[in-house]
Amino acid sequence: MEARRYAACLMAILWAGFATADDQLNVVGAFDVRWVHSAGELSYLDGGLGTLRFDPDHEGLRLGRAFMASRLRLSDIVTLHTVVDAYGDHDRNPVDLSEFWVDVRPFPTNAIRWRARVGAFHMPVSLENRGAGWSDVYSITPSALNTWLGEEFRTIGAELEVRWLGASSGYLGDVALIAAAYAWNDPAGALIADRGFAITDRPSTLFGGLGRPPITFYHEMDRKPGYYAGLTWRRHDRLEIRALRYDNRADPGASTAAGGGAWRTRFSSFGARLEPTTRWTFIAQYIDGDTAIGAESLGYDQFLMRYHAAFGLASLEWGRERLTARFDSFGTHQLRGFFGPPSNETAHAWTAAWTHDFDDHWQLVTEWIRVLSRFPPRSLFAQPSSLPETQTQISARYRFQFGGRAWGLIGGLQNN
Amino acid sequence: MSHTVSSGCRRLGASGRSAARFAIATQHFANKIAFSWLVALIGATGCSAGELAVTVVDRLGQGVSEAVVTVAPAVPRAYRQSAATAIMDQRDLAFTPRVLVVAVGTSVEFPNNDTVSHQVYSFSEAKHFQLPLYKGVRHPPITFEHEGLVVLGCNIHDEMVGYIYVTDAPFFGKTDSGGMLNLQELPGGDYRISVWSPIIADPSQTLIHNVHVDQHETTTSRIQLIRELRARPEPRPRRTDWAY
Repeated sequence: MEARRYAACLMAILWAGFATADDQLNVVGAFDVRWVHSAGELSYLDGGLGTLRFDPDHEGLRLGRAFMASRLRLSDIVTLHTVVDAYGDHDRNPVDLSEFWVDVRPFPTNAIRWRARVGAFHMPVSLENRGAGWSDVYSITPSALNTWLGEEFRTIGAELEVRWLGASSGYLGDVALIAAAYAWNDPAGALIADRGFAITDRPSTLFGGLGRPPITFYHEMDRKPGYYAGLTWRRHDRLEIRALRYDNRADPGASTAAGGGAWRTRFSSFGARLEPTTRWTFIAQYIDGDTAIGAESLGYDQFLMRYHAAFGLASLEWGRERLTARFDSFGTHQLRGFFGPPSNETAHAWTAAWTHDFDDHWQLVTEWIRVLSRFPPRSLFAQPSSLPETQTQISARYRFQFGGRAWGLIGGLQNN
Repeated sequence: MSHTVSSGCRRLGASGRSAARFAIATQHFANKIAFSWLVALIGATGCSAGELAVTVVDRLGQGVSEAVVTVAPAVPRAYRQSAATAIMDQRDLAFTPRVLVVAVGTSVEFPNNDTVSHQVYSFSEAKHFQLPLYKGVRHPPITFEHEGLVVLGCNIHDEMVGYIYVTDAPFFGKTDSGGMLNLQELPGGDYRISVWSPIIADPSQTLIHNVHVDQHETTTSRIQLIRELRARPEPRPRRTDWAY
């Protein structure tokens, strides 16, 4: 209820701000309604161990997502960003905040430009989710890797970026160092340990939960801040390479009175996006890390799991069309601890998507995903550990923007 | 020769100067009428003039388009500037044109014809300025008083890069798609040609060429680059992306 009040207040503030100058407030939003066909097992969102968002019990006509992303200019260099989401499922908050941050970006006076973000926002890893509101512009559903980052991670803290702007030196590109300190991310790791990776377009919201019973992610248990540090290299707008090291520095022995525990989660992430021509896009990302729960003193009884995920994506766009194909490979490997059958997931997935823009507002997206995964804990539900799952979605999206066209040649990358 | 023309023109005075006030050295007209006061003076007295055709080609002999070519007398002379205006537009998340060449003293407007706001800045030595977040035509023009290269950026969209080449040369322009630039009404004499482009990687000293322009004649100058061009930095159109 508290979150609903927050969301309502924010909406009121945003709408009030809309009455001001057109460049004072920029709002973009969208909703998509889908027809879904699914063949597979019950989604983890509905209490099963399926890796997709929908399942045979939850298909047909569905609300995909409705969101509104706004940027309110507080001064020439300070802007307030808000993303409000609704997913139409049984999350406890029908409307919730997904991101809320203040961006401070002084004008550069030399080739070094500082930028700070304070609030709650996605860390700069995904190369797919470059649309407003962290939306995937290549298909409906991001890769397993980026799905997981959207589910369990939000930087609730401060991020500092130092960017060398190369253009003034004749170099057509730039290099940025990024570092962040954050809190309220101690449960990150719970979902992947419990379920393995998933491929959905259902990231968590700040106050909601995912799954049944719902897991909530943004709690502080040990009063130890986490960090990430990364490097981004961009060669004008054709090549971007990112590397990042994440460590939430959680004390795996810490827990809350409500019974939740802190997960010590660390990973290294690498990604590259190449756009060699005006039509083609290629993306590859890789992540490798571990997560642990239970005091170090437990020794071999402490739960420790390694995981990795990677994907390669090729996308071709021409006119009003875009075709995308993606291959995902991901897995988990339990090294210590015993919680029933080992959480060793071995999986790969294929995704194909076609987007068609009718006009500046309406878009039709057809997406097909097939996942083949082996996950021993399914035996607890009297299921074979290896299962194929398939999901087909046809999504009609309506997008709007206050103060201009909703899309078209708007472009521009979200710097996150 | 240059001395003769110069002194001859000096005698002309007011008529030429007033004609020059009508000169508008926008990008479109820059090739023909930059420093038009001088042209007007020459025309008024029947001073004979030559034509200079400059071609910039890459290592393989292909024309290099949108290269800035400036032509100044080999013996420096004082020239009078005419007040001029130019436009550096912002469309589809790019500066349009990507490269603008203007005379010293030119005032440049920066309209934003995108649906998103931009925040234009430059910290180049030739000009420091900042235009806070805006759409449309929100800010008065910026006057570029000093010679040099001004690199433009947008503080919101780091991938946006533009260039304003501010020159005190009396003749200048940009090459066409074939790498050619025709400059007319040059008084006969010795000139120094300079070439610049963000995609040209040759050392700057090799991009300066001396040429003698004869009266009544068309002098040609072919400048071949020795290094490979850098990748052309045109932004990629992004229909399905979405910014705010």
